[in-house]
Amino acid sequence: MSARRVFIRGVGVVSALGRDWPSTAAALAGGRSAIGPITHFDVAGYPCTVGAPVLDPELEGPDRRLGLARRAAREAWARAGVSVAPERLGVFIGAESGRATLSTVCELAQAAGGGRTFDHVRFGARAPAMAPRIDASVVSPAAVASVLAGEWDARGPAQTVSLACASGSAAIIEAVRALRLGLCDVALCGGVGADVDPLMLAGFGHLGILSAKGCSRPFDARRDGFVVGEGAALVVLSVERGDAEAEIAGVGRSLDAYNLTAPDPEGDGARRSMLAALRDAGVETVDYVQAHGTSTPLNDPVEAWALRVVLGDGLARARVASVKGALGHWVAGAGALGLVCAYEAVVGGRMMPTAGLETPDPDCDLPHVIGEAVYQEARTALVNAFAFGGANTSLVVRRCA
Amino acid sequence: MMGRTSRVAIVGVGAVSAFGLGWRGLGGTVVEGKPLRSTSHALAVTHPGIEAAQVPALAPAQDAGDGRQRKLMSRGARLAAVVMREALRDARWSEGREEVGAFLGVGASGGAMEELTAMLQAGITACNPLFAFQLMNNFTLCHGAILEGVGGPNGAFFSRGGGTVRALREAVATVSTGECERALAGGSDSALHPVTWAELGREGFAARGLVPGEGAGLLALSSRPEDTALAWLERCEVLPVEGLSRVLAGSHGQVDTVLTAAWGPGIAGELESTVARLGVPVSDTVTLLGEALAASPALAWAVAVDLLAQGRAHRVLVLSLGVDGELGLVELAGAQR
Repeated sequence: MSARRVFIRGVGVVSALGRDWPSTAAALAGGRSAIGPITHFDVAGYPCTVGAPVLDPELEGPDRRLGLARRAAREAWARAGVSVAPERLGVFIGAESGRATLSTVCELAQAAGGGRTFDHVRFGARAPAMAPRIDASVVSPAAVASVLAGEWDARGPAQTVSLACASGSAAIIEAVRALRLGLCDVALCGGVGADVDPLMLAGFGHLGILSAKGCSRPFDARRDGFVVGEGAALVVLSVERGDAEAEIAGVGRSLDAYNLTAPDPEGDGARRSMLAALRDAGVETVDYVQAHGTSTPLNDPVEAWALRVVLGDGLARARVASVKGALGHWVAGAGALGLVCAYEAVVGGRMMPTAGLETPDPDCDLPHVIGEAVYQEARTALVNAFAFGGANTSLVVRRCA
Repeated sequence: MMGRTSRVAIVGVGAVSAFGLGWRGLGGTVVEGKPLRSTSHALAVTHPGIEAAQVPALAPAQDAGDGRQRKLMSRGARLAAVVMREALRDARWSEGREEVGAFLGVGASGGAMEELTAMLQAGITACNPLFAFQLMNNFTLCHGAILEGVGGPNGAFFSRGGGTVRALREAVATVSTGECERALAGGSDSALHPVTWAELGREGFAARGLVPGEGAGLLALSSRPEDTALAWLERCEVLPVEGLSRVLAGSHGQVDTVLTAAWGPGIAGELESTVARLGVPVSDTVTLLGEALAASPALAWAVAVDLLAQGRAHRVLVLSLGVDGELGLVELAGAQR
């Protein structure tokens, strides 16, 4: 039994730089960054006061994830031009738990006397009253996949993968496997993150992993943490090629089994994930890497080391970048956004840069894309997404011959 | 990775439920139908008097990690870590764990009650710095993996039943196609959380007599010939519930026992009446073990393996039904036949 090939038929992205992938891609290619001061709620006193939120009134609703995912899915679907029986269409979404709407949270904070400043003590005192205000269909991780499946009349597998920062890419891996195994013929898949809100900013900030300087600078010597971004990246995969120009050729997964917050300093889990994906694709090196590149002091050098070990001499002929410099960390959506950047590299020959990277850390010695996009033919690209807790995912995208 | 497929054996089990730690004997317990009920410590403040199927206190040697590590775990993560150790021990997998896969159905974690209490009293800064990691669903998987050194292909599937069956199906595919030769698959969760119970109440399950439970179950799957089979995994599917009659007709052999793990007595009854046409004994595990959400299907699989290992059944069909309306169908065969 040989594996069925899995083709990328359409992509869709909603980001703080654009309402669709072409507008986002144009901004990314020009080296623009969406990261700036958070203004839609009071961040006084927060450890990090910047982000890359998507502030579009059209997308507001009880579940902020849904508006983002729905628009990205519509774009991907329109580009895909696929036709499939409902029973053969699957939906695979990487998502973590949602939260009450910002307006609800702020209203509760105000009711507790906090005003526009989020007063945790007062908020906590009123927290028991929150439960009836938070609809399970809004906070459930599965809400996005369920709604998309309903709207697309998808009666094949509908699956939600909650693997923190690797959720989106893990969902795509599940879709690839389902397509290969014949469980469905077309998959709508990807990830969404909508975490620029008081609770997540407080939680991540409390951990000390956000940038106190307010900059996302993956692989830069001055990096000091990540910045939270928002958006959705959805792709349509199919076992029929149609007019597809790229395919997902390899997938890999591993666990660090090392630490809750820190990557294995030897990069063993990252290496095994990348090697598994390369082996699955039948290649030893790639032309472009869309790295996890969070801009944290610990992640970036470990990933750089793992890339040097895995790609060896081939690394010199490749280019490496992290989109988090421009759009921040989408958490559950991050890996899916990385995949779309890799798709752009192999299909459009446009290698997105790492915004914010000016002085590469010697410990992150890689062939970086700095400043603006590099236009260069690429046949294969590697995407990494590594999660808190040590779950690692890697994908290999290949231009169709 | 699709060049060959191998038959998948169940070579170890880990389970923790209201009946304590361990899977041997659970089959008899379910068949004999004697539920254990207690009032829930976890729900005592917000929902006093609720009867629950609560995991009893574990001895320190049975529990997961040390005190500091446990403080970072949600209830689901703690129970998952316990059964991960037990399943690995049961399968005698002491080496090569970095290649062992792990696929879990997980619930929305919820913070530990102690942390929630601290937050209510003094705000989020009073919580431990890793409080956020109690809330991330994948940590139900990762805590145990870190403690036990499990490092292979993995996935955390959000589950209210169906996701746990998808986790098993993914593990079976991973093992049978050779992506890894060994994998753990199951689920862990607790309905004994004030927010979860409030949600279940609002959705009408409490009024329909659902007993909240908690637990975790893991199967150790292998394609290696040197691993001794307790049972064979013959079939694993996730289907719309309307497809039940069709799939029952497609059983691989003569099923002699059916287990159901279904949300609420009404649904369990509906399933039972449908499968009654098979003319074989039907037992509902949720009636005995409580509704443990993402853990319920996995606990039912552990019950099935026990029945098979004891020779009380030769082929067991486990039907689980989540709130999402998806039917999980898992068929297991005894190793002795």
